[in-house]
Formats: sequence, C-alpha cells, structure tokens
Amino acid sequence: MEMENGSSPAKSWGFRANPELIMSSDNTVRGVLYMIRSKLNQLDTRPIIPLGHGDPSAFPCFRTTQVAEDAIVESLRSAKFNGYSPTDGILPARRAVAEYLSKDLPYELSPDDVFLTLGCVQAIQTIITVLTNPKANILLPRPGFPHYEAFAKACHLEVRHFDLLPDKDWEVDLDSVNTLADENTVAMVIINPGNPCGNVFTYQHLQKVAETAKKLGILVISDEVYDHLAFGKNPFVPMGTFGSITPVITLGSISKRWIVPGWRLGWLVINDPNGILKQHGIIDCITAYLNISADAPTFIQGAIPDILAKTKDDFFLKIVNIIKDCANICYEGIQDVPGIICPTRPEGSMFVMVKLDLSIFVDIKDDVDFCFKLAREESVIILPGMSVGLNNWLRVTFAIEPSALEEGIKRLKAFCERHSKKP
Amino acid sequence: MGKQEWGFKENHELHAAAAFTIRNILESIMENIDEKRSGKPKIHLGHGDPSVYDCFRTSTSVEDALVESIRSAKFNCYPAGVGIDPARSAIAEYLSKDLPYKIENDDVFLTAGGNHAIEILLTVLGRPGANILFPRPNYPVYEARVRFSPLEVRHFDLLPEKGWEIDLDGVKALADSDTVAIVLINPGNPCGNVLTFEHMKKIAETARELGILIISDEVYAHQVFADKPFIPMGVFGDIAPVLTIGSLSKRWVVPGWRFGWIAITDPTGILHQTGVAGSLKSCLTISADPPTVIQGAIPAVIKNTPESFFLNINKILKEAAEMFFEKIKEVPNVTCTHKPEGSMFTMVKLNIPAFEDIVDDTDFCTKLAKEECMVIFPGEAVCLKNWVRVSFAAEPKVLEDAIERMKAFCLRHAKPM
Repeated sequence: MEMENGSSPAKSWGFRANPELIMSSDNTVRGVLYMIRSKLNQLDTRPIIPLGHGDPSAFPCFRTTQVAEDAIVESLRSAKFNGYSPTDGILPARRAVAEYLSKDLPYELSPDDVFLTLGCVQAIQTIITVLTNPKANILLPRPGFPHYEAFAKACHLEVRHFDLLPDKDWEVDLDSVNTLADENTVAMVIINPGNPCGNVFTYQHLQKVAETAKKLGILVISDEVYDHLAFGKNPFVPMGTFGSITPVITLGSISKRWIVPGWRLGWLVINDPNGILKQHGIIDCITAYLNISADAPTFIQGAIPDILAKTKDDFFLKIVNIIKDCANICYEGIQDVPGIICPTRPEGSMFVMVKLDLSIFVDIKDDVDFCFKLAREESVIILPGMSVGLNNWLRVTFAIEPSALEEGIKRLKAFCERHSKKP
Repeated sequence: MGKQEWGFKENHELHAAAAFTIRNILESIMENIDEKRSGKPKIHLGHGDPSVYDCFRTSTSVEDALVESIRSAKFNCYPAGVGIDPARSAIAEYLSKDLPYKIENDDVFLTAGGNHAIEILLTVLGRPGANILFPRPNYPVYEARVRFSPLEVRHFDLLPEKGWEIDLDGVKALADSDTVAIVLINPGNPCGNVLTFEHMKKIAETARELGILIISDEVYAHQVFADKPFIPMGVFGDIAPVLTIGSLSKRWVVPGWRFGWIAITDPTGILHQTGVAGSLKSCLTISADPPTVIQGAIPAVIKNTPESFFLNINKILKEAAEMFFEKIKEVPNVTCTHKPEGSMFTMVKLNIPAFEDIVDDTDFCTKLAKEECMVIFPGEAVCLKNWVRVSFAAEPKVLEDAIERMKAFCLRHAKPM
C-alpha cells in the first residue's frame, strides 16, 4: 500500500495501537501455536501432526454424531431461529442444558441458572469480567489454560497462581491456596477433567476444594469443558455437586464432548442452591455483561434441545474409547522417547503434561526452542509448557486419529534421538 | 451459622453499561404488553428484526449454503481469530466491488455480528485519556459498550432540518488531540437517512484535518430505496482511514446468525503502519469467534444469493417506508420529519406539550405498549429525548395496523382543545 498523496506532511493521528492487547493475545494457546506453525518447513511433504490443540474434528473417526448435524440443520430450516435471541439464550436451550446437567447433580437446576455463551471462551471472559473489581485477585491453577490469564490481564484483575502437584496426580495444592488467598480474593479456578494435565479429580478432593473455598469466602469456577471425557480410575464428578458448601460456577460447552468446537456454543451455569451469588448481585452482573456482548447464533441455540436429548450413549462411548486408546498410545510411546518424562498416565481430557530432561540434549535451550525445532524438522506441533505456566514441560494432545498419533510419536522419538548427546 | 464474609462483589461499571442496551430497554417496555388484556396481537416495531415475517424470509440459497457447510463436516473446527480464509476472501471481493481499490483478505476481520464488531473496535481503540465522537442520535449499542471502556464520549449532532446530516462544525469544536475516531452510521440507524457523496467527502476531509479515523457502520449497506445511492465510506479511505463495519444480519435478514466483519478500507495503509490493524488481530485472537460453520457458508452465501432477493427486500422496505411516511401524517401530535431513504428505521418527533398526560418519550412508549400492545423505541435511548424510533420493516398489514393504533392512542391522549 503506497502513500497516494506524497506531498502531505507527516500526520499526527489521534488513534494508536494497543500494546496490552498484543501481549495478551500472544500468550493464548492460539497465539503460541500460530508462532510455532510459522516455523514449519514448507518443503516438508509429510502431513503435519497436530499435537498442539484440543480439536480432533478434522479426523473422520472423530466426526460428530449425525444427531447433532440433523438437529442444527432442522433448526436452520425451520426459519424460526433467524431472529435475535434474548440475552441469556433462548428458553428451550437453557432448559435443555439445565436438564442435561441436573442428571449428574444432587439437585435440579432451573433454566434461570443457565446462561448460553459463544463458546466456553466467552463464558470465561464473562466470569472474569464480572468478578473484576479494583482491589480484587483471582487464584488460577499452574499449569492452567492461558485464556484465563489473558482475560484477567485485559480486565486488570490481579492473578495469583496455586500449583497442581505432579506427584499427586496433579491435585490442587490446597496449602498454597490457603496461603495465597486474602480478603480481596474473589474466586479460584479449577479445570476438571484437567487441561493441560489430563487428570480427573476425585470426589474427596473436590469436596476439600469446596471446603477450602468456603473457609476463604471465595467461589469456585469449575471449567468442565471436557466433562465426561474421563476414562481412567476416577469418574467425572461435577463440582456443582458441592454447590451447597460454597457457590460454584460451572463453565462448559458442546465443543469437546460432541467434537464441534467450531459451533461455538457454551454455557455458564450457577450451582448455588443457597442463592449467595444472587444476593451479592453477581447474577445481575452476568446478565449485564452478556447484554453488552456478542451472542451465540440463535439457530445453534435452537438445536441444543435435540443435541442434548437425542445423542445416543454409543456415540459418547465410541469417542471416549478412541480418546482412551490414544491416551495409552501416547503414554506408552513416550516411555521410549529419550529426554521426555511422563509422570502420570492421562485419565481425562485430551492432553498430558510431560517434562523435558534438557540435560540429555545437545542444543535445545528450553521448551520453546524444543517446539520450534520440532515443528521445523519433523512437522509436529506441540505446545510448549511455558504457555501453560510450566517452563520446560510440554503439553501434548493425544486426541487425534490413532495412526496419526503413532506417526507423531515416532517423529518425536527420532527428533529426541537426533538431538541427544552421544554417550 | 454466622454471616459469612465473601470476597466477591458486584461490578458496578457493568450495570451502568447494560442499562443502555436495546434489549434492556425493550424488555422494560415489553413488561407492559398484555395481549390477553388488550385483546390485540402484539406489534413489535422496536428493533430491526423482520425475520419473523414471511415476506422477509431469507433466501433459500442462504439456508442451503449453511446446510452444506454443516453437512460437509469440514467446519466443525476452531477458526483462526481473524476468521477463515475463504470467508475473508469472499467478503474482501464482495466489498471491493463498490470501492475504487481492492481490499485483501488480510484487511477483513470476521466478528460475531455488527455488535461484536463494535465491542472489538471500542476495546482496541480504548485507552485512558482518549475520547471518541458519537452521533446524536446514535445506535444504543455504542453507548452501552463505551461505558465499559476508558474512552470519553463526545456527541456531535445529526441535523434533522438537514436530513440528519452531520454537524461538521460541531465535530470540529469537539475534537482535540486525544480524539481517536468519529462514528457514522450509513444508511442511518436510527434516522433512516442516506449520506450524499459530497457530504461524505467533507466528513473524510474533516477527519483528516482532525487526525482521526472514521468508523463507518454500514450494517444496512445497500438497503436504500429512495433517490440516494449507497456509497461505502471506504471510497474516501485515501483521505482519512476508514474502518467499515458490515454484517449479514440486515441485507440477508438473518440477525440471529450473528455474523459480521470489520474491514480495513484504508488504501494508504495508515492503520497497518500505526499498529491498529495488528491490535485488531490480537483482540480477535482472545475474543469470541463467529461459528466456523457459518464462516464456511459465507463464500456460497455471497455468491449464490440472487440479486432478485435483495431487490425484493428493498422493494418491500421502500413500500413500507413510503406507506409509513404518508400515513403517519394522519397521526396527531407526532411528526416524521424526514422521509426514510434507507435502513429499517425512522425517527418520529413527539409534540409532548400537546398531550394531556404524557411526560416524555419513555412514558409515551410505555403507555403505548400497555394500551395498544405495540412496541416502539424511546428516543432517549438513542440520545434524542422526545422523539421515538420506529421500525417500518414489517408486513404491510402489520404496519397499517400499527399506525391505526398510534392514531387512536394519540387522539385519546391529546389535550382537549
């Protein structure tokens, strides 16, 4: 784009770039993967193996159920959902989500407890924005999901990190939670099933989390976007089960269980039988924020009742079984890869955290360097642990087509061997 | 159990912002609607959403495009923050048709509707100490969203006696070195006017002189039906940088799809050089996305929607606007000062002193809802007290009925002679 009017004097413009936004976005999963993908060797004809993001929708074995496709097509063709929807979402969809989630809770949710959002990401943005207040702080897990940090930064909400303990199945370090919290702490976030750790919290541990939160006077934000994707020894228990101990806000979506992240339909649900959040005006704030924000398309909301009610169990079983197989392929395959240690077998979600033993490599500086070189040399994309809060670890996605995963691990092994110090 | 001290509390800024939304305002008016009691079906002329009327149903080629996108199973994945390439290219090509230069797919950023585009732009341009120029009257979402941003708002007037043109002297008096942008809405919401080439050129020259960019909200692009053609502000992009907002909602009558875009119509590349374009991209990386399945349908939507569909919608709007403008003359104590030329709205002035017991525009709308089961939008919410905003995008019979009801209402409430 050239200057058309070259004789004009240099203009001083009143608008400018927004450096805060640029910093925030660079640290999201999307932002980091974008940087890693830029290192890919365009001349490598091998297929790229994507072990960096939580989206297996490109693989035929992960195709969503026909029921879901039919539901959305029918909703569209009805022409009843081309108009604007109410702020919280259309009632039939909210009712359907309430019923769906209530199946696993010791109490009934009402449609008024459900707010539909444009994907779980918008649910995160909503709750972070709603809880922001000048002196407030929020407790986030480390490692975690960087969108929380990105939104907190954008809102100027102070973040304090508590650890997840790798030698305790990635449980929350409740002692550190107790130390970090003060009278300005508003909430703590847990992600269950775990992203990035691939763990599933036990009932007892979740109860302890609830009791700790109650003692500290904070609410628990339970990010359950990977709900029901649990395939190990611990069943998935929704945090809302403990909503009468301390207020819980559950974030979820259809993206992972139905493998349709591109449909952008999520929810923010109030699990608070004692009505504490309502008393404190938090519910009104959620409505207020959603009122001034983008909505999920009405026709996708229109499909929700059928998607939730008609999807058959054998679809869910099929998906969970493939993911479980992949988790095992990944865990076992990594045992043979030099320089990479996997502390626990993943039991849920689509990810596992593995630790790098940099001492065995000749020329790998850190996890970012590892991932850049891996992308360039092997066309394999993995997310550096730095972006989820654990330097010199890696977050590996195992939920892809099994043969692609095997190829990915093969290339990972070749890469690590190639870069290892000679004995 | 003793009183528990909780660390979380309300965010008051949000309440201030949300009070201004269309939905909130409409909801409070609609609380007065009682179809059973009034014995009439509800008439909703409060928002720009005629999708409920059969005559406004979107083209089947639009539905087909989306069904194909869904069935292909190729668009169930996460999109890039800025949008998927085929959709961006299709929109770049579509917009370039009406510009004297080509825009590329990198100049197009996909959003979840026009409202989301507003959210993104105010977030990107917001910084403490800066100010932005808004029209009065304005589209309420700007007012709502800006309250949640560090930007100071300054209002310039649209002049009813000049067909709602911008008071450029007023603009010059308001701007200073901290002004970032001026917003204009063309075709106009709420005024229903269409800007002329000459006036738009002057706006661009004023913006250049003041060192500010132009946000041109063109969600009603091409929905013009009088003698003034639609001209995209991007035509003057070489005078001052223009950020163009567009959407599928109005031209394709699918507001519920929540799909729109921000286009950088800035041939001299100032927005790229100053880093505003990069900031837009970053903001979209963090922010929510329009569903990929909808993005996947865009090339086919743009390519396959027949011209006859658009012509038909404009014909319906033209007839509705003309009928409305003529018939409203029969309603006492209200005046539609300017015959609508575009969009789906027009502003009607209330002669409040001529009414017995109506104190202002909000009171008018509330009582009208209660007594006549009819919803229109109070002018205060578009920053113009004692006017009302009416949508004429409805079936002809419904519109006739609406005017009859308004007439009955105004007669009933008129001060005795």
